[in-house]
Order: sequence, then C-alpha cells, then structure tokens
Amino acid sequence: MKEKIKKTKYALVTGGSRGIGSAICQQLAKDLNYKLLINYKGNKEAAENTLQKVIEAGGQGELLQFDVANAEQVNTVLDNWHELNKNSIIEVVVNNAGITKDNLFMWMKNEDWKSVIDTSLNGFFNVTNKLIKNLLVNRYGRIINMVSVSGLKGTPGQTNYSAAKGAVIAATKALAQEVAKRKITVNAVAPGFIVSDMTNGLDEKELKKMIPINRFGKAEEVAHLVSFLASEKSSYITGEVININGGIYS
Amino acid sequence: MSKQITMDIEEIINKTNEFLIDEFEVEEDDISPEANLKETLELDSLDYIDLVVSVESNFNVKLDAEDFENTVTLQDFYDLIYRKLK
Repeated sequence: MKEKIKKTKYALVTGGSRGIGSAICQQLAKDLNYKLLINYKGNKEAAENTLQKVIEAGGQGELLQFDVANAEQVNTVLDNWHELNKNSIIEVVVNNAGITKDNLFMWMKNEDWKSVIDTSLNGFFNVTNKLIKNLLVNRYGRIINMVSVSGLKGTPGQTNYSAAKGAVIAATKALAQEVAKRKITVNAVAPGFIVSDMTNGLDEKELKKMIPINRFGKAEEVAHLVSFLASEKSSYITGEVININGGIYS
Repeated sequence: MSKQITMDIEEIINKTNEFLIDEFEVEEDDISPEANLKETLELDSLDYIDLVVSVESNFNVKLDAEDFENTVTLQDFYDLIYRKLK
C-alpha cells in the first residue's frame, strides 16, 4: 500500500468576511485545528479584518475571493487553490454566503428572485459539488449549511429567501444520506433573528417581543454551534437542521 | 491529441493491475480480463470516486459517471482507459 501523506487541513467559510460568517471563522480558529479559508465576494477590507481576528485568536488563514453564485469563478479559484496547495484538503465546508432581496411576492422582481436563489441555493451547489470528490476520497468531512428559520416556517416578504433556504434544507438531508458512509456529515444550522448586517434595519425592540428568550441572538452563539458541528464531537449527527432562534420556532 | 502516445494496451493493463492490487487490495489471482469490475473490486456507488482518482493520478485522464455505463469487465475498463488516452 502507498504511504499516505499527511495533508494540511482547511476549513472554508463562504461569506466569511462579515456577520455570522466572520464569527464562525474566529470560533473555528479558537476551537479547531484547521487553517481558515475566508471567502468574500467584494468587501476585501472586512475579509482582512476577519483574517486579522483569526490570527489574533491563534489561528491561520487566507482570503479567497469569489462569488459563490458564479460557478465558473468558483471552479477557477478553487482549481487554482488546489494547484498551489497539493498536499492540502478542505475538510470543513461552511456554506454561509447568502443575500436577501425582500419584497412582497406580488412586487418581487424576477432578478430579485433569481439573485437570491443563485447565491443561497446555487452557491451551495457550486461550492459543495466542487469539493465533494476530495472529501469522499478523504473519507472524512463536515459540510455545514447555514439556512434560516425562514426556510422552515417561511417568512412573509421573503418568499425568495425562504424558498432558497428550504431547498438547501432538503439538499442537506439528501446529501447527508449519500455520503454518510464515508464519514462525511452534512447538517444545516437555522438561525432566527441574529444581530448582524442582515437584521440591521429591523426593529429589535418590537420584534424581540415575539422571541421567548426576549432578545436577538449573537453571531458568536451561532458560531459555537457551527464549531461543534465542524468538530469530530458531532460525528453521529447528520442530515439534521438545528434551530438556533431563542425559541421562536421549533 | 494523444496524451501518452507510447502507452500501448499491454502497458495500460499492467499499470492498471498494479494499482488495483496496490490501492484496491485486489488479489492477483482474481484479476482476469473477464472478471467483473464491480464485483472484483467490491465497489459500491461511492467507491467509483476512488477509481476515478486512481485513473487520474496514474494516467492523467479524467473519467465521468457516463464512462462507466458500459464498463462491466476489467477488459472494458482497460479499453476505456486506452480510448481516453488516445
């Protein structure tokens, strides 16, 4: 038998420059022995800021610029990265990149439907499909899909976002069964209202009345859950959707 | 354009058998042109990825799921690699 070369292990976080994505990068750096690949689409400054925090947390990492919605770009960037990092494996994939383009369905424009589906749903496909072969050969891996309470219960004004997240939840369950035999787990994390850029425009004072825990969640709280799912400790959990929403929905 | 013009079918067979024995732990006695690829290698659907990766690293050719549609025996498998190398 050929001797196995020990590979450098990486965790990729898409949309890792800000909000929940940034918190996840920092938590993974603190908790686990992975180098971070911080994906960002356009905000390099925020991505560099996250990288700095990763380093301060004792981790290592690098930035990877691509738009998850652009399959060609994903392929090119990841192919180049693999070419330069032949003895490395992206063992943890956190599909976090997502956008919202909210509107009542009757006013929703075709491009707002399409762009949300392209990023939140097709982005999951573009990145995960590209990396799954290596994970199967590696016979170990963690795929964590950031979804939303919107994908479970549906949120008015977010038909596009709810549809995309609901589809990713279904894909999570299907893929989990396909790859479980190779010790690859696939789970989804469904946050409720979390303090971030995405919830910036919302009236927290009013909305928190609906939340049993009576506050918005923190990005760090979501990051702790993701870090657990990315670890070996979560080996027997797969195909699950884990709510983190202060009790607003279960 | 030919990727490895000098490689004839005999060389392909020898090299393939080598990695089947080495990487897939196939017994040498079980290897014959008529042997069923899936049964001999005890492949399940996910295991094909290992075969794809081995072929890629040994011959520098890429195989897709469709390539295996008519690949039943080891001879079919050797022929498949031969065709891909042409």
